[in-house]
Amino acid sequence: MVTSLPYFAFIAVPALAALACPFAARIKPRYADILANTALAVGLLTALSFIPEIAKPLTLQAWNMGTGLSVFNNDVFSLLMLITVYMVALCTAFYSIFHEMPDGRRGVWNALILVCAAAMCGVAAARDFFTLYVFVEVTAVASYALIAFEDRRESTEGALKYFFLTAPASTFIVLGVALLMLYTGGTSFGHLAQAMSSSGAGDSAVAIILGVMACGFMVKAGLVPFHGWTPDAYQSAPAPVSALLSGVVTKAAGVYALIRIALALRVIYPAHAANAVGQALMFFGALSIVIGALGAVYQRDFKRMLAFSSISQVGYIVLAAGAGTPLALAGALFHLFNHATFKTALFLNSAAVEKQTGTTDMRKLGGLEARMPWTALTSNIAILSTAGIPPLSGFWSKLIIIVALWKAGLQSYAAIAIFASVLTLAYFILMQSRVFFGKTPEHLAKVSEARAGMLLPPILLAAVMIAIGFYFPLLFSNLVEPAAKAFL
Amino acid sequence: MNISGSSFWLLAVVAIPVFGSFLIPLAGLAARKTDKHLALLLGAFTFFAASMVLLSVARGEAVSWHLSLPLAFDLQLDADYLSAFMGVVSSSISAIIIYYSQGYITAQRGHTEYYSIVTLFLGAMMGLVYSMNLIWMFVFWEITAICSWRLVGYYRGEKELQKANKTFLVTVFGALCLLLGIISIYAANGTVDLRHLKGETIPDFAVLMLLLGIFSKSATLPFSTWLPDAGVAPSPVTALLHAAVLVKIGVYAFARIFCATVQLDPVWSTFVLFIAGMSALVSGGAALIETDIKRIIAYSTISQIGFIFLGLAAMNRIGVAGALLYILMHGVAKAGLFLCAGIIEHKAHTKDITKMGGLFTAMPVTAVSFGLCAFSVMGIPPFGGFFSKFMVFRGAASFGHPGIVVLFLIGAVLTLVYLLRVFYAVFLGPQRPLAVTAGARAHEAPVQMVASVALLGTLSLLLGIFVYYPSHYLEVLCSQIGIILP
Repeated sequence: MVTSLPYFAFIAVPALAALACPFAARIKPRYADILANTALAVGLLTALSFIPEIAKPLTLQAWNMGTGLSVFNNDVFSLLMLITVYMVALCTAFYSIFHEMPDGRRGVWNALILVCAAAMCGVAAARDFFTLYVFVEVTAVASYALIAFEDRRESTEGALKYFFLTAPASTFIVLGVALLMLYTGGTSFGHLAQAMSSSGAGDSAVAIILGVMACGFMVKAGLVPFHGWTPDAYQSAPAPVSALLSGVVTKAAGVYALIRIALALRVIYPAHAANAVGQALMFFGALSIVIGALGAVYQRDFKRMLAFSSISQVGYIVLAAGAGTPLALAGALFHLFNHATFKTALFLNSAAVEKQTGTTDMRKLGGLEARMPWTALTSNIAILSTAGIPPLSGFWSKLIIIVALWKAGLQSYAAIAIFASVLTLAYFILMQSRVFFGKTPEHLAKVSEARAGMLLPPILLAAVMIAIGFYFPLLFSNLVEPAAKAFL
Repeated sequence: MNISGSSFWLLAVVAIPVFGSFLIPLAGLAARKTDKHLALLLGAFTFFAASMVLLSVARGEAVSWHLSLPLAFDLQLDADYLSAFMGVVSSSISAIIIYYSQGYITAQRGHTEYYSIVTLFLGAMMGLVYSMNLIWMFVFWEITAICSWRLVGYYRGEKELQKANKTFLVTVFGALCLLLGIISIYAANGTVDLRHLKGETIPDFAVLMLLLGIFSKSATLPFSTWLPDAGVAPSPVTALLHAAVLVKIGVYAFARIFCATVQLDPVWSTFVLFIAGMSALVSGGAALIETDIKRIIAYSTISQIGFIFLGLAAMNRIGVAGALLYILMHGVAKAGLFLCAGIIEHKAHTKDITKMGGLFTAMPVTAVSFGLCAFSVMGIPPFGGFFSKFMVFRGAASFGHPGIVVLFLIGAVLTLVYLLRVFYAVFLGPQRPLAVTAGARAHEAPVQMVASVALLGTLSLLLGIFVYYPSHYLEVLCSQIGIILP
């Protein structure tokens, strides 16, 4: 039996809900919350319900700007992406219920989150680079609005920085897409593969097209040396938005496309990364790992440190994608999902800390463990998972990445990836001992734990991390490996 | 899944403390004192289950349990002579330490977390001991690192946090070296299952990386400084780290990988012997001039670990059997010393031995127990420590390199000197002004604490008198497992 995954519904349902949100909010502001959460929860459950089906031949109705719907087989990668998008968006929307804002703006807020989620589903559903580009831009526009939502000076600045620094990226992407069109007569992933495998294809032309596009997507992914916008945008955005941005937006807008490019490269370079674009991806990935981690060590602000940590962790994903072996790609996808869980949990916790204490400046915090035990516990789990300490989920994805790099003959990159974990751990325990560990200073003695609803998403995410940590095939065998196999 | 009786105990000895540790906070929420009782129950059960496993192994049954995972990362638990022995040693000492904690920890804040982490620690140790897959050894290895981080920082002061972070970073750095070694074995030999690696050779790079990991965990010379610093932890925790679990992980991993599985080149053996000898000597010297009682005992651990490496790296039967016996004897005696130090600190409110003196009259049981354990560590016959030290030296002597043996003999003399110094300064000697006031109030500690140290002191003596049984077992062990030892 062939199962078809209704991509169109995954995009249309949140988009329609977004349209309805402002009207619902007019009746009662809370209706917008309920609507957004219901739409996202239903989407997540539907996406999860396809997991048992992936053993069978899976047909995906994918969205293609030129021809409307088109059908592709066994693309579990897109399903994995959909699940990640819905998971993080649902956590953000659920957390927003408790986020303070004027009642009149709840409708717009939820609509923006839904638009963002719908656009990211569009990215996952796209089957050509032009469609992908369009949805990436929709995601970006929704993100600008969300970052600047609170109308503070810093958040406007962050949003503008994001806008101005990623606008050239869009130019690069369009340029790449145009060149692709010129060269191969189409923009779909299939065309790219064809162009690369056909005998007439010169390596340099393909390398230039892919290189130009990769540059654009690296900016969107916030990789070093294009990372200038990320710390400011993450720090100044309203707290739940930072979770959305770091957890899934940079991945949908940048990393996903980079992995797609890496997949296209596999067509002509099946063994390992012998090509210029793959080399460049690995180089910038490794650079991001190190620079991001070093940058994080010097941060004094909780959210800013998390932003640098995101840069570093995205570096792992891109490094593995650049290596391009099936195992490395599996590791990249696995880490992509894991990073979404732990970084979302950490940003939501930073939001809880900000709400309860009024600051994210680590010099003014300390000893919150006694006052906010659940926030501290889930943060610790997320931190250890990020640093790749077993038995948590992050360990397994990093292990697979490192094993894959080693097997592909890239020992030096493997060593960088391993020892960057010490740096990751260093900045995180620094942060942990400044915020949670230690004795509670007097001015924080009256801080109380966040509300149960705000704690729920981090607790669930921490449970996911522990469950995958103790039994990693839970995700690996069900989703990641089939996705990586389907590429072959 | 079909589980035979003995395999059930094997699974239980790992799973019950690991998952039970998550129940302790729930028990702590339910009623205030249930947490410590549950922890004691779990500790005692782990010891019982480990003993059952040992009995099955001694009867010659094959005891194993296995969970298939992708990429050959199977969780493979196997009990053989070596792992069953180590499991019983660690779990028995841990159970005594948990019993001791009942008197030491309860009055203080955060005790639920304490009991939970200690139990998790014990479970991770059991997992590490019985794992036959290097990846899973690494997983459990790192769980112990997390646990030691939380426990060393238990008091949450500025200094404690620094030391806890240092402990964590140093051991994780070493662990990542170990991971790099494991991955290079995986790439070169295609497997990380120790049963398949038996008799194989592994790349030199992997050997170096594994050794770095082992040295960092066992606090051997280049990485030794975290261990004395970790003394800021509560005394039962330091006892746990030094005697039962943490530093013994390194030597166990060495025995498991290099004595029981792959052939170690004699060049590497000499390298290990040299490092261990330097480590024994330097830390012995440090123990001589230190005045903080817990730091002295910590330096003593570093130096005694050197002796264990001496026996293991000698690569002959008598040396390896001696080293394993050393793990047992040193574990019992060192746990006793730290727990005594805990009682002294608890009562005299200082760790500085220059401010103590004449405490013998105030706490006779503690003093006698301390003495018994100290004699065992020094290696005075007929205490247990004598036999292990003797066997280790005999093994080393037949390996060659008389220079290294001399190095260790000096180390042994140093042990004698610094432990006598501590005993004299604390229990005998003149009563110092500060100690008079402290000593006047200082009487014996709660019954759990005194009973624990008395038990450990008695064990140190009894294990020496009845040394035939463990040493016979270890002789069988050395002929049963592993590569052919001369």
